[in-house]
Amino acid sequence: MTVPGQEAISVEALRVFTGQNVLLGPIDFHVREGGMLVIIGETGAGKSLAVQAILGTLHGSLRAEGRITVNGQRLDTLAPGARAALWGRKLATLPQEPWRSLDPLMRSRPQVHEAHRFVSCLPRRSAGIATDRTFGSLGLHGAERYLPGALSGGMAQRVAFAAATAAGAPILLADEPTKGLDTVRHAAVVSLLAQVPQAGGALVVITHDIAVARRLGGEALILKEGRMVERGPTRTVLVSPTTPYTKALLEADPACWQRTRPHRFDESVLMADSLGIARGGRVLIDDFSLRLHAGERVAITGPSGVGKTTLLDTLAGLLMPARGTIRRAARLAPTGMQKLYQDPPAAFPARVRLSCSLRDVARIHGVAWALVTDILSRLGVHPSLLDRRPGEVSGGELQRISIARALTVRPGILLADEPTSRLDPITQRDTMNLLANIANEERIAMVLVTHDNAIAEAWANRRIALNAPQVPAFPDSGSNPATDPIMSGRESA
Amino acid sequence: MSSSILWRGPTVSVPFHGRTDEHSRTVIAALAARGLQAVLVALIVGIFSFVMMQALPGDAAYRIAAGRYGYDMMDAASAETVRAELGLDQHWTAQLADWISALAKFDLGRSLVYGTPVMDEIAVQLGHSLLLAAGAVLASLLFALPVGVAAGLRPGGLVDRASLGLSVLLRAIPFFALGILLILVFAIRLDLLPVAGFRGPEHLVLPSITLGLGLAAVSSRVVRDAVTDAMAAEWQLFSRTKGLSTRLTMFRHVLRNAALPVVAYVGVQLAYLIEGVVIVETVFAWPGIGHALVHAIFSRDITMVQGTALTLGLLYVALNLCIDLACRGIDPRTRAAGRTGPRS
Amino acid sequence: MSAHRARPQAKRPSLDGGRILGLTLLGLLTLAAVVGPDLVGQDPARQSLLEALQGPSGRHLLGTDHLGRDMAARLLSGAQLSLFLAGLSTVTAALPGTLLGIVAAWFGGWPDRLLTAFADAVLALPGLLLVLMLAAISPGSWWALYTGISLTLWVEYFRYTRQRARVVLAEPAVEASQLLGIGPWMIVRRHLMPEIGPGILTIAAFGAATAVTAVAALGFVSVGIRPPTAEWGVMMTELLPYWRESPFLILQPVACLFMTVLALHLSVGGGVRP
Repeated sequence: MTVPGQEAISVEALRVFTGQNVLLGPIDFHVREGGMLVIIGETGAGKSLAVQAILGTLHGSLRAEGRITVNGQRLDTLAPGARAALWGRKLATLPQEPWRSLDPLMRSRPQVHEAHRFVSCLPRRSAGIATDRTFGSLGLHGAERYLPGALSGGMAQRVAFAAATAAGAPILLADEPTKGLDTVRHAAVVSLLAQVPQAGGALVVITHDIAVARRLGGEALILKEGRMVERGPTRTVLVSPTTPYTKALLEADPACWQRTRPHRFDESVLMADSLGIARGGRVLIDDFSLRLHAGERVAITGPSGVGKTTLLDTLAGLLMPARGTIRRAARLAPTGMQKLYQDPPAAFPARVRLSCSLRDVARIHGVAWALVTDILSRLGVHPSLLDRRPGEVSGGELQRISIARALTVRPGILLADEPTSRLDPITQRDTMNLLANIANEERIAMVLVTHDNAIAEAWANRRIALNAPQVPAFPDSGSNPATDPIMSGRESA
Repeated sequence: MSSSILWRGPTVSVPFHGRTDEHSRTVIAALAARGLQAVLVALIVGIFSFVMMQALPGDAAYRIAAGRYGYDMMDAASAETVRAELGLDQHWTAQLADWISALAKFDLGRSLVYGTPVMDEIAVQLGHSLLLAAGAVLASLLFALPVGVAAGLRPGGLVDRASLGLSVLLRAIPFFALGILLILVFAIRLDLLPVAGFRGPEHLVLPSITLGLGLAAVSSRVVRDAVTDAMAAEWQLFSRTKGLSTRLTMFRHVLRNAALPVVAYVGVQLAYLIEGVVIVETVFAWPGIGHALVHAIFSRDITMVQGTALTLGLLYVALNLCIDLACRGIDPRTRAAGRTGPRS
Repeated sequence: MSAHRARPQAKRPSLDGGRILGLTLLGLLTLAAVVGPDLVGQDPARQSLLEALQGPSGRHLLGTDHLGRDMAARLLSGAQLSLFLAGLSTVTAALPGTLLGIVAAWFGGWPDRLLTAFADAVLALPGLLLVLMLAAISPGSWWALYTGISLTLWVEYFRYTRQRARVVLAEPAVEASQLLGIGPWMIVRRHLMPEIGPGILTIAAFGAATAVTAVAALGFVSVGIRPPTAEWGVMMTELLPYWRESPFLILQPVACLFMTVLALHLSVGGGVRP
């Protein structure tokens, strides 16, 4: 399959153990110069262990076995010191969350400069020139004097990229390069990474995001619970998968979601009239109006920092609008509006059993416990989970429990703030489907806040796009008939 | 878990006076905050001293006269002299106003017992106390830095566990008990070092070690945690994987990052240091301000109490200010604050 | 794979060896202080110059001091005094400190600013200076000592509670509970108390150790509890001149103090696992 002379990195029968338990593998792959491999898997699939095993940075309690060859040189048999000598020179890594990978007390420029100076061993002046050239080519001009804490996620990523590749290592391992970045920025990261194979290097990218994998191309390797389930050219694997797991993973993509028609009622449950919302003296949203009907599903989208969450909290009555009015339907109880949160464990008292939290709610509202267990079983929550504390239950299960908790008080409106952004794709699809069904069956109006346009398009009946304040307001492109062109955040001073 | 109060507090944690949540403060603001603290110190000490004066049992004038001239030499006339001199016959509000305004003019008055100006006494004692404090901080760093770094580089290793056990035991011995033990062993049993007093540099050794050991018991763990945290940080690993050697990573990244919590903790320890100086000076009869304070309380020499407590309080504020400035020096984030980054 | 992102759980003290040792030691010390004096059956104040500086015997279990007083009786009487003052000042510092901390975090605004300013004022001086000055107002009285210690210790509970409560109350979980119609009392009980409880216990143990140390230190430098009261610090001062004749004597109160402070430190487990 590969021509030996061109092979940049090859991994054969790589396994990672803790004690006698296999956490990862066996996995095999070969990447040629100018080639690219995307390792795809859900959280906990052991993807990061692969990078650590190749580098030799596994935690002390873990052990790797297998054959790792870089440019014809065996790595796994090298002494740790000799292996570390290849870092930055032969093997570069782009770490997860670049913010935390840059020294918080050192400005950007010296962090890249030191790599040119001490890894490439250039004299100080040439290293300076090389650093300036890197900053220029990555569009980082002006960022030199800033500390990592003052950089945006995308800029920190580029600084980390510059530092990692300064010494010209021909192989780049990138671990979840899009983690913590808005979907809008994913394209920029992909094109940054694509420079590596174009320049004749080899690239290994680890991601959980099918869309990113699709953009990157190259070869793909699908991991499930540490085992390799499928391998092949990315386009082939992602178009005609051969294993059930890959199929399920692909079907979880919002583009493939089954659309359901809403049971829309004429009764309006919430009316917001020309709202003005400001935070910290800055006007975020001006002249926003919304009429929400029972059973309706509305999605609010927009880039981060545009005020989506603030808008949601204002609708919930948690924040006062700077101007405008919000009216609820008279039939709604004070607890008629409930909210779902991005990080399910943070939505429950951390040290109390879930059953205790749920019983509190039931008791206060005079709801029989049997009714609560009934709701839970309808949402497919196993009762034994309630004996645990929030930190001991998976995110998907916990999000369903928090939906059940909200349903206990019979709300008319459910507000959801990125409820699935921390969940795996399959769990995400199931959760959003569940919400859609509940909206239909219980006639609950739902407002979803998300940064992911694909989810908004697949799930909502109506979309409201908030625009960054600098950009003149424009209604969402009319491609989707469900989009309501009236709603849009307007630019303001 | 907390700031310092009295001898030893809980292990580590929230820095004193919320130093960290004030990243964005300018130097001026830092100076102003410490200036306010200094004024507060003066007011608290002044009011307390005034209340002490009022609380003197019996006729204060007679007591003071007795203290000053001796019981044999004292009579009604000398008591009246004292009364007039100290204004003891005015209404208490007027006396308090006088008292505070004298303080505002840095007029600390005369010792009620010796009749000498308090300022002169303090001028001599302050040097001795500063010497002891410097010796103690030096000793604590000499213990804490090597032990803490060695423990932090191999967490869970032999040095780590041994130093942890030692730290737990040392923390349970109060300064003065530690002083007694050191005196018994080194000065009396082994006859290596002088017991007490201050005549030469060798007299500095035992008190400094007493205080230094007590401080190092906690600060060695702080150094250890700082080093462990820095070594486990993602930026440390990234510095290695981008190709920098262990040594370069250590000098260019780890040291500065690990120094920050350690220096901040020295600030937390200043309260122990001041308290320790008071107690250890008394144990070793060290002629410093702390000893003078305890002696003054014992002999009810209230102007002396006020002068010494005020000096110690202001010393505390001044040292805190030094730590504030040192933290700013180490941490560029405090200086960069106020200028927003290119968050695009 | 469960729990993607468990919230960082604050350390929960588990019963490791050090904690068991600390709690046992603390229990024994308290028991000794409560029933010990009756078992020994000696008056800690009764002098008998003929029996001065004796070694341990059947009549005097731990020997006698320079005035012929029974050491065992005096040490136990000192333990009573120390533990009583420590317990009292811990309770009277913990309750208002914690409550005011919750109040400051809950209401914010001017109550918060006022309470924080007061706490900062107390912290403007090292705690010992405050205690010393209070002790100077009424020399030798235990209540001056107690007031001073409580006054400096409550700040610690206040600052800890306020800081933790501000974090906890800002969590989505509290907002969710409020939206669900759960009242303030239940929010404090379910969200706040479990979160700050372990921390408060830790502060209490260290605070009690501080109080025991403070009482002894002030007694030792002759500005706290005064002779002839049997107090560990006072006993150290009295016995120091006799170290050559009977070194065993001076070490007794030192050992008592050491064991009490060690027991308190170990009892929260923080000392063993930093």
